[in-house]
Amino acid sequence: MGTARGRRGSLLLTLLLVCVALACGDEGADEGGPPTGNLSLVSTLGGLDTVGYERATEIRDFVFPEDHGPHPGFRTEWWYVTGNLTSDAGRDFGFQFTIFRSSLSPTEPGGPSAWATNQAYMGHFAVTDIDGGAFEATDLFARGSGGLAGAQTTPLRVWIEDWVLESAAAASGQDRGSAEGVGASGSETFPLRLAADGDNFAVELELEAGKPIVFQGDRGLSQKGPQPGNASYYYALTRMPAVGSVVFDGETHAVTGLTWLDREWSTSALSDGQVGWDWFALQLDDGWEMMVYQLRLEDGTPDPLSDGVLIDPQGRRIPLEWGEEVEVVPTGTWRSPEDGAEYPSGWRIRVPDRGWDLTVEPVVDDQELRLAFRYWEGSVAVEGRGEGGAPVAGRGYVELTGYAGFGAQGTTEER
Amino acid sequence: MRLLTRASLRYLTQHRLQLLLSVLGVALGVAVVLSIDLAIQSARTGFRISAETVSGRATHVLASDVGFVDEGLLASLRIDLDVPAAAPVVEGYATSARLPGRALRILGIDPFSEGPFRPYVAGGPTGVDVSRLITTRRGVALSSGLASSGGLTPGDSLAVTVEGQAWTLPVVEVIEPGDELARAGLADVLLMDIAGAQEVLRMTGRLSRIDLRLEDDAEGAARVAAVESALPGGVGLQSVGTRSETMSGMIAAFDVNLTALSLLALIFGMFLIYNAVTFSVVQRRQILGRLRALGVTRGEIVRMILSEALWIGALGAVLGTVAGLFLARGLVGMVARTINDLYFAVSVQGIDLEPLLLVKGWVLGIGATLLAALPPALEAAGANPRMAALRSVVESRARRLVPRAAAWGAVLCLVGAGLLLIPTRSLAVSFTALFFVITGLAFATPAGTLVLVGAVRPILGRLAGTLGLIAARGVGTSLSRTAPAIAALVVAVSVTVGLGVMIQSFRGTLVQWLDGTLRADVYVSLPGPGASRATGTLWPDLVDDFVAHPQVSGYSTYRGIDLIREGDAFRLVALELDPRGESAFDFLDGAREEIMSRFRAGEGVIASEPYVFSRGLEVGDAVTLTTDQGERALPIVGVFYDYGSEQGTVMMARSLYDRLFDDPGITSLGLFLEDEANSDVVVGELLSIVPDGRAVIARTNDSLRSASLEVFDRTFQVTAVLRLLAFVVAFVGVLSALAALQLERARELGLLRASGMTPGQLGRLVVTQTGLIGLAAGVLAVPMGLALSVVMIFVVNKRSFGWTLNMEVGPEVLLQAVGLALVGALLAGVYPAWKMARTSPALALRGE
Repeated sequence: MGTARGRRGSLLLTLLLVCVALACGDEGADEGGPPTGNLSLVSTLGGLDTVGYERATEIRDFVFPEDHGPHPGFRTEWWYVTGNLTSDAGRDFGFQFTIFRSSLSPTEPGGPSAWATNQAYMGHFAVTDIDGGAFEATDLFARGSGGLAGAQTTPLRVWIEDWVLESAAAASGQDRGSAEGVGASGSETFPLRLAADGDNFAVELELEAGKPIVFQGDRGLSQKGPQPGNASYYYALTRMPAVGSVVFDGETHAVTGLTWLDREWSTSALSDGQVGWDWFALQLDDGWEMMVYQLRLEDGTPDPLSDGVLIDPQGRRIPLEWGEEVEVVPTGTWRSPEDGAEYPSGWRIRVPDRGWDLTVEPVVDDQELRLAFRYWEGSVAVEGRGEGGAPVAGRGYVELTGYAGFGAQGTTEER
Repeated sequence: MRLLTRASLRYLTQHRLQLLLSVLGVALGVAVVLSIDLAIQSARTGFRISAETVSGRATHVLASDVGFVDEGLLASLRIDLDVPAAAPVVEGYATSARLPGRALRILGIDPFSEGPFRPYVAGGPTGVDVSRLITTRRGVALSSGLASSGGLTPGDSLAVTVEGQAWTLPVVEVIEPGDELARAGLADVLLMDIAGAQEVLRMTGRLSRIDLRLEDDAEGAARVAAVESALPGGVGLQSVGTRSETMSGMIAAFDVNLTALSLLALIFGMFLIYNAVTFSVVQRRQILGRLRALGVTRGEIVRMILSEALWIGALGAVLGTVAGLFLARGLVGMVARTINDLYFAVSVQGIDLEPLLLVKGWVLGIGATLLAALPPALEAAGANPRMAALRSVVESRARRLVPRAAAWGAVLCLVGAGLLLIPTRSLAVSFTALFFVITGLAFATPAGTLVLVGAVRPILGRLAGTLGLIAARGVGTSLSRTAPAIAALVVAVSVTVGLGVMIQSFRGTLVQWLDGTLRADVYVSLPGPGASRATGTLWPDLVDDFVAHPQVSGYSTYRGIDLIREGDAFRLVALELDPRGESAFDFLDGAREEIMSRFRAGEGVIASEPYVFSRGLEVGDAVTLTTDQGERALPIVGVFYDYGSEQGTVMMARSLYDRLFDDPGITSLGLFLEDEANSDVVVGELLSIVPDGRAVIARTNDSLRSASLEVFDRTFQVTAVLRLLAFVVAFVGVLSALAALQLERARELGLLRASGMTPGQLGRLVVTQTGLIGLAAGVLAVPMGLALSVVMIFVVNKRSFGWTLNMEVGPEVLLQAVGLALVGALLAGVYPAWKMARTSPALALRGE
């Protein structure tokens, strides 16, 4: 209970650090070659030392808009947006946009140079052309200085180069990073503007807040392990209406749809034995959302700390007891053409007490992000019965890690 | 053929000394050529590898004429222009007492931007711990080679001085270079995060350059165009290749100079071979005649002589290679030092053994040997069987050849002079002409010798009686053998004289120029890697303090920038002059007052003589600079004499510079003191107000002057070494030829002994004769040397570098030359004299 997406956070922290180390050399990633980077950074950090960083030790009062912005005292943080969109012409797209922030040391190095920083940023961006059966993904790395990347609260603006998630109000009167007095209150933070581009694909959207903020775990404190402080602060916006455009294969499409924002920051390290996870964020057309994840242990069994929640149309959070109230069963597999890694592909998810019985299918089999590390994250279609057993359909995003490249490369460190 | 081989072998084994000297001659020639080639090649390789390592896979750079770009440009490139591969670079130099004598290159980078550029910064097994480098203030990563020579491990700190300021840099990581190239390229690199590099180089807000990687396709070309059109004023896009070629080209003249000198050594080596082979032919005249009588064909004789030469050449080449490698080790340090002093910082990691250079050395060595052996071989084959045995025939023919050789010499000199008249700046043409002149003079030496000996004979007769007469006559009657030896000696000595006079004149001109130029009483600059290139930026507060010193009555400021752009490199200087400093300039044409008033008014720039000369410009032409307001063409209002920079110098008034560039820095400062002030005392007082941790060089007029001359002397160190080596080769040649000549005269001398001459008298005869040759060579060499120096000073230097030098002939150079020739020749007589004196006349008479 209450661990919500925390595991994902820890593993992603590791991934981020690995990527910082890889950032630099890995041309192979762009060209689809194998990652050639090293793990020196992770190993030097000596099993992710937490000394000097802030820790998520107690329940706190979230303050907005400040908490939409960065928390550099914590080692890692992200702005994670996924969504499913449909064009005017009825063409369906999915996208993932993530900016990871990482503190490379507890304090800033100081000095007169504007380049001095302890902040590193990594971005992942992927678009799925559902009708065309195609998928594109790319990444970006930058230090949090020199105008290349950064995060600020008033107005909200998080960016790596020209990838950005920001207050639309700030964007309209924008002067890079220096606008003041806009978006000081939560209401002015939204709508958000999101923009990112890859070689021949791009997304530009305006996101409404939609439903109220959902605080995961215990009032936003998401406990990850038995020790105090081994936790994250975590909130989400689970149904954000989006309008804007998608470019795919050089063609621009006007789109609308639903997105999902996860915000999490933490410092603590991983616990032993976990090799990856399967995570589901589903938005149903009856106004409900489901978030479920299943952690996998080395022996292949699900970690009992796996979890799930339901969010009702009013935005109320309904926790599910793992192993008693929710059940996830893979129904198929997909093999990566890259290295033959086998992923589950297609699931049946049930919450028998409330009548839920959903079939979840990837809209495109291959939505593997073959970047500096490899994982599968993609758009899915949902069908079945929802709250009270009523027939329902929907769309969502699924993330599968620990099946490919990274698992092989990173396990030593994870352990 | 086996008969001929046996005859060869027998002869050579019986004349081991001669064989040894021939081999030595080739070996020395090859060694000098090879070592110079290797030294230059190694310096070039050192430069190239470090340039390549530092540039990584960058294809273009964005840089400005004044050496920095605004740091905000990077974000606009990456974000607004969407250039994915763009990396900021902040560069400079540091020195450390822990790593003495090394110019440590600070390479400040943003590790996150490095992916497409420098693999040793990026991931991979040899990558840098990005996180520690970024988060440790002023942290450095260095290669394992550098770390071990400084005894450094991660966690230590490295005390360095950067542009006069002391810093303690924490060593965060030791990089294990992935390959030899990276090892060499990183040998003197201090890798820092950009923030730390900006801090220690005092470049906050600025970048040295931005590296770009633009593909060589249509898309890349479009990007180049997009970047170029979006560039702010003052910033230009350059391709990395041409940029490094430009730098490499700066040392081209230096390279040609040294190569020419090394070839000279080889030519002396050829003289040596020619000597030895001629001598062996002369000595074997009888045997060769008999062989011909036995039916051996001319071709076979030629082949026999040439194959002997081939073996000598091959043996010499092998020995020369070994010696060359040793020699190169010594020379490479000097070459690198000179490049550091005059051109740019270069770190040379040992000798770069380029196989092609070895081949070149061998081909030259063996080729030169064969070429030198060809005339005597043909001569041996040319004589008819009976006549070949008669020495008198050879000698009388040799005598007849003397005027013809002199005529040929004159022709060669004319060809050389003709070449010199070609209006070209090519050093190669100048040197070719010089070689023609030298060879021509060599051909004329026998005639000169005869004239000289004829003139000296009566004096000798009076001084030494019959012995003197015999000695003098002997020189003339053995021309076939003495002529090449004398020619070699004359050329060697005249080259020594020529170079000596040239260097002396250069130095004299420099002294004069320094006296005129150094007007201020005290000069202040920062310590840096290049002895003659002031670099860095003085602290403004310190400048204010210095200027405010009560004894300082005025000052000049100097901003010097080494400007490197595609195909062109020169020094750009901004001057704020105290009125007393204006007289420092001496202009080729025009009134100083008028030129200086236009200069002060910012109407244009003044350029140094080498600048306008090497670019074919004149007063009124423009110098184009990329300023903050875009391209600006500034007219040249005057051309001044300058010996400070080979690439040339362009100077503008500080007020003009400030209008064109946003760069308030001052590189060095000249202080004028009150009349009664004592410079040394003021220097001491100035240095005492420099805060701890900072260092400046404050020098009095005199000490700057002597420091400048020190650099000059160091620059010509390599030349001096080569001059010496060339002389050694010639000396060995003379020694071998004269010694062999005297030994061959065993019968003649035995006869003299038998007719009552004492061993002492005989010794005196021999030594007098060789001494006479030496004296002749020395005396002939003086006018020839002066002629050479005239060519070098007024044609080569003026034409190729644009330097006007005042010729200055000191007696010591001339006396040195004659003395050397004389001593060498006398020494050459000592061994044969001693040997003859010890041999019983009967034995000598019996002959072989």
